[in-house]
Amino acid sequence: MRALFKARRPVAYWLAISWLALIAGLGLLGPSLPLPYSSSTADLLAIATPPSAPHYLGTDALGRDVLAGLVAGARRLVSISLPATFLAAALGAVLGGAAGFWGNTRLRLPVAAAGGLLAAGWWALALPGQLLALLLALGSSLWLSLLLWQKTPRRQPTIALPVDSLVLGAGTLLGAVPRLIMLVALAAGPPFTTYQLLGLLVVVAWPEPARLVRAEMLRVRVQPFIEAAWASGLPPGRIWWHHALPAASQSLRSLVPLSLAGLIGLESSLAFLGIGQAPDAVSWGSLLAAARQEPSAWWVAAVPGLALLLTLLALQQVATAAKNR
Amino acid sequence: MRLRRFRGKRPIAWLPVRTSRGRWLLVRLARAALAAWGIASLVFVVSRLLPGGPEQFALDGAGEKWGGASAGHVAQMQQAARQSFRHRLGLDEPIFYVTRSPAPAGWHWHGRHNQYHRWVVQLLHGGLGQSYRDGQPVGAALGRALAYTLPLTGSAAVLATGLALYLALYLAGAPGGRGRALVRTLLGGLQTMPLFLLALLLLLLLANPDGLNLVPAGQVPNAATSSLSQVLSYWGPRSLLPLLSLVLAVLPSLALPLAAALHHELGTDYATTARAKGLPISRILRRHALPNALIPLLTTLTELLPSLVAGTVVVEVVFALPGSGRLLAQAAATHDYPVVVAGVLLTALVRLLGLLLADVLYFTLDPRLRPLA
Repeated sequence: MRALFKARRPVAYWLAISWLALIAGLGLLGPSLPLPYSSSTADLLAIATPPSAPHYLGTDALGRDVLAGLVAGARRLVSISLPATFLAAALGAVLGGAAGFWGNTRLRLPVAAAGGLLAAGWWALALPGQLLALLLALGSSLWLSLLLWQKTPRRQPTIALPVDSLVLGAGTLLGAVPRLIMLVALAAGPPFTTYQLLGLLVVVAWPEPARLVRAEMLRVRVQPFIEAAWASGLPPGRIWWHHALPAASQSLRSLVPLSLAGLIGLESSLAFLGIGQAPDAVSWGSLLAAARQEPSAWWVAAVPGLALLLTLLALQQVATAAKNR
Repeated sequence: MRLRRFRGKRPIAWLPVRTSRGRWLLVRLARAALAAWGIASLVFVVSRLLPGGPEQFALDGAGEKWGGASAGHVAQMQQAARQSFRHRLGLDEPIFYVTRSPAPAGWHWHGRHNQYHRWVVQLLHGGLGQSYRDGQPVGAALGRALAYTLPLTGSAAVLATGLALYLALYLAGAPGGRGRALVRTLLGGLQTMPLFLLALLLLLLLANPDGLNLVPAGQVPNAATSSLSQVLSYWGPRSLLPLLSLVLAVLPSLALPLAAALHHELGTDYATTARAKGLPISRILRRHALPNALIPLLTTLTELLPSLVAGTVVVEVVFALPGSGRLLAQAAATHDYPVVVAGVLLTALVRLLGLLLADVLYFTLDPRLRPLA
């Protein structure tokens, strides 16, 4: 904590941090704030009124309170974009780290473990209800194989798991169309629930951190301290998890704010287009979409637009500071 | 590089150092084509697995017609209507070659009688299917929409590239200065701004009936009767703001890396030699540094076309242009799966085109990369 304050930061950095803290606070405390109006109900007596006493930031063309919408949008940010970013970064770090560390040929499983994997897969396909058992079987066979890996005699037949190709292939597949098109296409069905939207954001966002961590891992893997870990006879899983992955994940610090900014932009774009959204869901994007119905009501566009822009600029500032550290 | 930890038996044959660069690029293209097909298939299967298919949407308003009948009768008739609707669209067939059904439980092989096989065969014959909404062929609708989108994205790509070259040369021309700092800050701000916010800002500032209005009112010209000049004079001013927002949205991602690359090239030995000879900085930048700095930019160009296509989805909705982006957005809002899948396929093909273009440009710009054969 002292190191954090000792480092000389520009004023812009502290402004950015305080703005982000304000938005996060609004989002977390949203439901318990004493707001006079809720975000989804319309005040039909005050349609498109400029900022004044009962509606402090005005109302939109449908009579919805802009201040309440702002708070609801901040809540959506904290509950969807933020967890999606961290989940995507974690998933990307694990997958990219495994791909860079083991490559296509170095993760060799004993044939027995592969047989177990195959059997578990077969069983799962026939009985999808038993998901827990499948996960247990997968986990234990992976763990067992990692445990046995170093102790297997050379003669015992092993097969290589092409982690690198699998991860890169999945990334290529997801990168074949831009993320917005992908989300729009998948939103063609019924409206997303919160968890579905979160999951989809994670799915479209993980390849970016994975690529970065994989590249870093290729560099870290040949560093002397990893060589020393191999030489001291540590099991590979332990070297990967305890020594290589933390070092390779350092570069994520400046990527995570940018990635969060990207996901906020993506989620707001979807909300702005009104695709895959529940009809009563209010976010900054949907507020901005409402601004088109009444072009003279400048406050409907200015308030959420400014909030969105300031948030994204603040995240960019934080990313720059993290990179220059 | 140490080789001690290298345990693989096979030498890494697919790396570019081992084979000719040309073959590697071919492999890259093939991989991208495979990914395009894979993503379209994924969207096809997932969209048909989702609950609440198109018949739900189409028959939602149909309940009132049977107002006189009893509730049970209405439910029966709705069920029948749903069945016939699904049968008409071919949705009652199995989705994929194998599906899992609850009764009799287990996996079933359906052979060629499934929706996916029909779609692939149709695609190989050049057909994209028919829209669920109006029964029109998707290819024709997409073609009509592309007549608006292609000029828009094409001119946006050309304009953005030209402007990025100019701005990067300007930024790299001298180390400091207030003007350059301002341009840099503006570009950085634009880079974080989502496209919809930018487009909305331009719309509300420059095409506002209560404020400054650059877009004059006018009759929509009939494509069959009106002349080319009429069509141009109607759509010209209307595509100005969409064009501007697309260009501004992709400009930072082109200009900033190019400026950084130019800056890097200016620090190399050949640039120092050129300066020692007494060449002016602008000439060094244009004739010596730029060709070398352009090569890393080509990778960015690959992503330029798909990001422009993604941008049209937003821009055409904001400015109400009847292009392919708005077609895709409307199709997604109305559960029109064939149009959605066609849009995804189109975008993936555009990315493939971008890859191909970048590869051709690589070979043209850098003779070292040309295959020997």
